Amino acid sequence: GVATSLRNNTLGTLFKEMYFSHDPISTIPGAQWDRPYIQQLIKSDFENISLILEPPEGQDLGVWKYEHLRQFCLQLNDLAVILQVDCFPDVCTQMTATEQWIFLCAAHKTPKECPALDYTRHTLDGAASLLNSNKYFPSRIICNLTANLNRYSTWSRNFYRLHYMHTYHFHKSICNPLVKYQFDHENIRCFKFSFTCRHELYAKYDHQSLD
Amino acid sequence: IRGIPKLRELLKRQKGEADNALDGVPDVEFTYADAQSIQDEMAELYSYTEEEEFVRSKEAYSREFPFITSWQGLSENEKKACLNQLINKIDSIEDAVRIPAIHALLYLAQGAFEAGMSEDKLLKQSRENVFLMYSCGGLHLIIQLLNLESENPNSAIIIMQKPSISIVDSDVLRAYLNILYIMVETMRYDDPTDSEFMMEQREAFIFELSQPVYDECLHIILFEMVVKFCAGNCPYFPIKKILLLLWKTVLVTLGGTKEIDKVKRQARLDAGLPEAFDERVPDENGRAMTSNGASSNNQDDGTDDIDDSEFKAATRKPRPRPKVRQKDIDLFLDATRSKFVGFQISGDDSTLAGLPHPIHEGLHVMKKHIYTSLGEYQLNAEEEALERPFTAMKFQSKNEVCESLYKSLLPNIPQYMISLLKILLASSPTAKAKTDSINVLVDVLPEEMPTTVLDSMRLGIDVNRHKEIIVKAISGLILLLLKHFKNNHIYQFEFISQNLVCGNCIPLILKFLNQNISSYISTKNFIPQLDFPACVLNKKSEVTAETLENNGSEICCWRNMFSCINLLRILQKLTKWKHSRTMMLIVFKSAPILKRSLKVKHEMMELYVLKLLKAQTKYLGRNWRKSNMKTMSAVYQKVRHRLNDDWAFGNDMDARPWDLQAEEGSLKTCIDRFNNIHYGSGNTGEEIMNEYDEYDVNIHSVLDSSVELSEDFKNAYEKWLEREVFSAPIEWEQLCSCSFKR
Ligand SMILES: [Zn+2]
Ligand SMILES: [Zn+2]
Repeated sequence: GVATSLRNNTLGTLFKEMYFSHDPISTIPGAQWDRPYIQQLIKSDFENISLILEPPEGQDLGVWKYEHLRQFCLQLNDLAVILQVDCFPDVCTQMTATEQWIFLCAAHKTPKECPALDYTRHTLDGAASLLNSNKYFPSRIICNLTANLNRYSTWSRNFYRLHYMHTYHFHKSICNPLVKYQFDHENIRCFKFSFTCRHELYAKYDHQSLD
Repeated sequence: IRGIPKLRELLKRQKGEADNALDGVPDVEFTYADAQSIQDEMAELYSYTEEEEFVRSKEAYSREFPFITSWQGLSENEKKACLNQLINKIDSIEDAVRIPAIHALLYLAQGAFEAGMSEDKLLKQSRENVFLMYSCGGLHLIIQLLNLESENPNSAIIIMQKPSISIVDSDVLRAYLNILYIMVETMRYDDPTDSEFMMEQREAFIFELSQPVYDECLHIILFEMVVKFCAGNCPYFPIKKILLLLWKTVLVTLGGTKEIDKVKRQARLDAGLPEAFDERVPDENGRAMTSNGASSNNQDDGTDDIDDSEFKAATRKPRPRPKVRQKDIDLFLDATRSKFVGFQISGDDSTLAGLPHPIHEGLHVMKKHIYTSLGEYQLNAEEEALERPFTAMKFQSKNEVCESLYKSLLPNIPQYMISLLKILLASSPTAKAKTDSINVLVDVLPEEMPTTVLDSMRLGIDVNRHKEIIVKAISGLILLLLKHFKNNHIYQFEFISQNLVCGNCIPLILKFLNQNISSYISTKNFIPQLDFPACVLNKKSEVTAETLENNGSEICCWRNMFSCINLLRILQKLTKWKHSRTMMLIVFKSAPILKRSLKVKHEMMELYVLKLLKAQTKYLGRNWRKSNMKTMSAVYQKVRHRLNDDWAFGNDMDARPWDLQAEEGSLKTCIDRFNNIHYGSGNTGEEIMNEYDEYDVNIHSVLDSSVELSEDFKNAYEKWLEREVFSAPIEWEQLCSCSFKR
C-alpha cells in the first residue's frame, strides 16, 4: 500500500524527498528495521543526537552499535571525498591527529606510516570489510556482542582520529565551508556523533589528554 | 644356626627387592596436567635478570598517570579510560610515546602491583585488567605490533652490529610478548567467580586468537619468529617467551587433554566407530585372563620364585583390557588357514570353513576385543577415496581451528619442526656449549656479566631454569600438535611425525634421556624470593649463598617431570606401529637408557617407558629378556596386552628386514598424496578429475571464446546472412516485454 511505498524511492523522486518517512518502528517492514529507522531519525532531525543514539526498547545493544557504525561509516565516506580536495599526500604526509602525535595505519599486515588521506581511505576500507565480514558478522540481526565490541572500539578510535582530530585540526578551512555550504547539515551530525561516540566509549581522562 | 643368616639374607633380599620393585608405590609426587597453576606459569615467564624491569614499568605507569593514587580505587570506566589512553599511545609512530605506554600497559597487565599486596589480590587485579584490555581492542593491536617489531629490519641491523647481544636488545619485543602471554594465560582458565559477561569475553578471546590478524594468525607469526631465530637472522629474539606464548596459544585455541578426549570421542562417533574402547572386562573373560596370565608368567621365567610371588602380591590395579587390531586378526587367520586349509582368502575374517572348533573360539575372543583406531579408519577412507573419486566421502574436518592451523602450517612444517628440534637440542642439559650453535641464552644474559661469585651463582641458576623452561615449552607444544592432528587426520599427524623423525628427533630424545633422570627431575633451579610476584610484593630480602643452596626439599621439579613425560610420549607416538622406527630405537641402544629412567617412580612415566620397551623386546633377543625379567614382568603388568602378541617370546632378530628409507619413502608418498588432494593447487587429484570435467554450457563461455572463421565462410557470409539471419523472423519486442510496473 501507500504506507510502505514511501520507503521505496520510485523513479523520479526528488533528492529532498528521498527516504522520507516518519514510520513508527513497528511498521517498518522486515527484520532489518534498524537501519531505515536510524536513517529516518537522522532525516527528521539530525541535530537531535541523543534521540538518534537512543536504542529502542528491547533492542540488542550490539546490533544497535553495529548499525550505527555502519551508518557512520557510510557518511564518513562523504567526508573522505571532500577531504581529497584539501588533504594531499605530499602535504599531510602522515596521519597526525594533534600537533604531537603521528599514527600508524593499522589496515596493513604490518602497520605503515600512511599519509593522512591514505590512512583515511585504508581505515574506511578496513572498516567496510570488517563490518561486512561473514566471519565476524554472519548476521545483521544477531550480533555476537562481546566478540565484536572489542573491534568496535579499535575502529571507532581510528575514525575519531581521522575524522574528528585530523579534519578538525588540519583542515579547518574545509571543515567550516563544508558544514555551511558545500554539504548539507547532516555532516554536523557526523562531527557531533563522532564526538559523542567517543565520549561514550572512552571516559573523560582520555579526552582531557587528547584535546 | 647356619640357617638363620641365610634366612635373614633372604628376607633382606626380598625386602630390598620389594623396596625398589617396579610396581612399588610411586615415590614422585607429580600430577600430570596441561600446565601448572597460573601463578607458577606466570613466574616462569620472567627470568631473574628481568627483576629490575618490574620497577621500571611501574615507573612508566606513574609517569603516564601522575594523578592516580590507587589503581584499585578507580571505577571501571576510569580504568577503561586509562587503558584506552595507553592503547591510543601505542598506536603512535614515535618510540618516545609508544614505548613508555607499552611498559605502563605491561604493569597494568601484571596486576598493578604494590608493595604489601597479597598474591591473590594481585592475580585478581591482573585478571580484571586483562579483561578490560581485551575489551578495549588490545589483543589485536599488540599482535600487530609484535609482528611489526619482529619484522623491523632496522633494529636487526643495529643489534647485529653490537659486539655482544644481551637481554636489553629485546626490550620492546619482550614487553609485547609478556603482555600477550599474560592475556593468553589469564584467558586459559575460567574462574568460578567469572560473570556471564566475562565468560562470553573469554569465548570471544579464544575465537579471536585462532583467527588471522590480517593474513596470519598468531601461531604462524610466532613460528616464523622461531624459524628466523634459528636461521641466525635475529639472534636477539627472546626465544623462551616466544616458545611459551606459542605453546599456550596452541593450548588455548585447540584445547588441552580434556578437549582432545572430547574431540576424539566425537570423531569416532562421526566415523561410525564406538565412542571409546570398552575397558570393562566381562566376568567370564576376566577369570580367563588371570589364569592365562599366571601360566604364561611361569612359562616365561621359571627360574626365580621371588618374581612370581611378587607378582601375585601386586594385584592392586586392574590392567587395561586387551585389544587387538584387525590386522592381527588377519595375520592370525592367514597363518591358521595355511596350516589347516592350505590356501588363503584375503580380506575375509568370517569364513571359517575347514577350521577346527578351537580356532573358531579363538577368533570369537579376538573379535570381542577388536579395536579400530580412528587412524585406521581414516587410512581406509583415504584409500577408498582414491579408488572411487566420485562417490567416496571426502575428508571433511569438523575441527575448524585445527584444520585451519594445519593449512597455515603446511607450507613450512619442515622448517618449523627442524627449528623446534634445534632449540630443543641447544637447551638440553647435556648439550655442550658449542660456539657455532644457536644461543638460546640471549634473553637471560644481562648486559654486563656478573662480577661477584654470588651473582654468578644466581645467573647460573637462572640459565639452567631458562633452559628447562624452553624444553618444557617445546615438549608440550610438540605433543599437543601431535595429539590434535592425530585426531583431526592421521596423515596430518604422520606428516608432522615424519618431519620430526627426519630431524633426528628419535636420537635427540634418547640423548636427552641419557642423563641422570632422577636428578634432572629434582633439580632446584629456582629462587623463590626472585619469582614473580614475590619479587615485587615482598620486601627485598638479600639473596645469599645459603638461600641459593637451600631452597626446597626433595620435591620433584614439575617442569622437568612434565618435559620428560612429554618427550617419552612423543617418542612413543613417533615409533608406534612403525617397524623401522622401532628398529631405530634398537640401533640407538635405547633399552638401557629407558631402563635406567625406570628409577623414577612415577606411574605415568613408568608406563610410557614400559610401552617403549615392550615395542622392542622382540628384537632385543632372548638373552636380554632373560636377564631383564623384572622389566619384563613390569611390562606384563602395566602395559595393555595385545592378543596374539609375541613381544615376550618372539625371536624376530633377523626375520624382518627393515629398510628405513623405503618405509619412510612409501609413507611420504601417501602423505604427499593426501596433502596434494586436500590442500594442493593444480594437484594430482584434479588431474584425474579433469578428464571427467563437465561440459561448459555457460553462455558467457561462448561469448568469451574466439572463433576462427574459415575463408569459405568469409567469402559467402552474405549468403549466410540472408539465409540464417534476415529470412528468420526475430521478435525483438519480446526482449522488452518485461514491462516495468508502477
Ligand atoms: Zn590532511
Ligand atoms: Zn594505510
